[in-house]
Amino acid sequence: MRFVDEYRDAELGRALAAEILATAEPGRHYKVMEVCGGHTHTIYKYGVDDLLPENVELVHGPGCPVCVIPMGRVDDGIAVAHEEGVIFTCFGDMMRVPGGHGTLLEAKAEGADIRMVYSPLDALRIARESPDREVVFFAVGFETTAPSTALTLMRAKAEGLRNFSVFCNHVTIVPPLRALLESPDLRLDGFIGPGHVSTVVGARPFEFIPADYGKPIVVSGFEPLDLLQSVHMILLQLRDGRCEVENQYKRVVPYDGNAQALRVLAEVFDLRPHFEWRGLGFISHSGLKLSHAYSDFDAELRFRVPGIRVADPKACQCGEVLKGVIKPWECKVFGTACTPERPIGTCMVSSEGACAAYYNFGRFSRGEKRLVGA
Amino acid sequence: MSFHCATCSDEGVPMTVTSISDEALAVCDRDTEVMTDLVGAVEPGDVLLVHAGVALAKVEQ
Repeated sequence: MRFVDEYRDAELGRALAAEILATAEPGRHYKVMEVCGGHTHTIYKYGVDDLLPENVELVHGPGCPVCVIPMGRVDDGIAVAHEEGVIFTCFGDMMRVPGGHGTLLEAKAEGADIRMVYSPLDALRIARESPDREVVFFAVGFETTAPSTALTLMRAKAEGLRNFSVFCNHVTIVPPLRALLESPDLRLDGFIGPGHVSTVVGARPFEFIPADYGKPIVVSGFEPLDLLQSVHMILLQLRDGRCEVENQYKRVVPYDGNAQALRVLAEVFDLRPHFEWRGLGFISHSGLKLSHAYSDFDAELRFRVPGIRVADPKACQCGEVLKGVIKPWECKVFGTACTPERPIGTCMVSSEGACAAYYNFGRFSRGEKRLVGA
Repeated sequence: MSFHCATCSDEGVPMTVTSISDEALAVCDRDTEVMTDLVGAVEPGDVLLVHAGVALAKVEQ
């Protein structure tokens, strides 16, 4: 496929790996965080980390939207799904995310009408086809996914659709990054920036990372060569004593983002004062709610949402995984009590979650890493 | 198993426009309907980066 195959070329990959090896300073340990779950998935699907020298370590950040949903919001969603006459729609992975009292999949088995959709437009279509039912869409995701929800709501409003609403759990990327950088137990040398979020917000919002925290960041694409090149660009910045925002993903990321998408987001959403993140706690101005102009479509106003708060299970260390403090296999329940079939933590649910990526691609310990030249 | 993000069933997939079905709706590969509000006018042959049913960008040729 065009724009895909050329970024998976094995020869170019080996050449980039050799350049990374030549650039990494022997005796220095580099820790680079990929923020986005999509990057984590690519790294383990293609074995990108196998091509890196031992002293270049990739750690995994909080960029999987499923992984950061707190258990209480899942319980809230289940409560709405059980309301009389409701058709509750959500993306596939949300079905298996455990709340304090089970999953949406289990609620479906108990009789709630819960349906998986591929985009909010599918939920809108269901609403048109079921005028006597209330159709609710469980919206999750960063600025990448939020425009899809926003455009769907604009269509619903234009059509005067009265039986459609959104349970909004959209989040923004900058506040959790700032929270991570403020964390005292975090030691990072640089960031691989989220490519698809940046198609919307651009690379400019990440300027605070070099400016305020002295760390380089390279906004990266999602193919293996994109990631290898981004790691190399970070190492070059560190070698040359530079610290800036660079854009490796120029083929789709404008430095200032997509102006139309930003206008749409500003019209449909407002920032919440604070929002709870799995493992990270409450972060100010990090979540979105529907704006006043779209409040008629707000499921939290239309239905009785209990506002449940649930503490994460004690055995689960998703929070430390999301902050990059521990590797998934260092969690006490990884691969034993917590598996993709029966997840305890959200990081094991989504295919973009770090734990699921490690588990599905057989990375049970650092000792199993195939070293360059080995 | 799927290697795409099951959260939204894609992870920013390049798709080629095959026809235009509405003012801001295009039909792409595999008869997928895609909202094109964010990328302006598109025409058959354009390659779009699609996420959750929305074209986020035109891929530069």
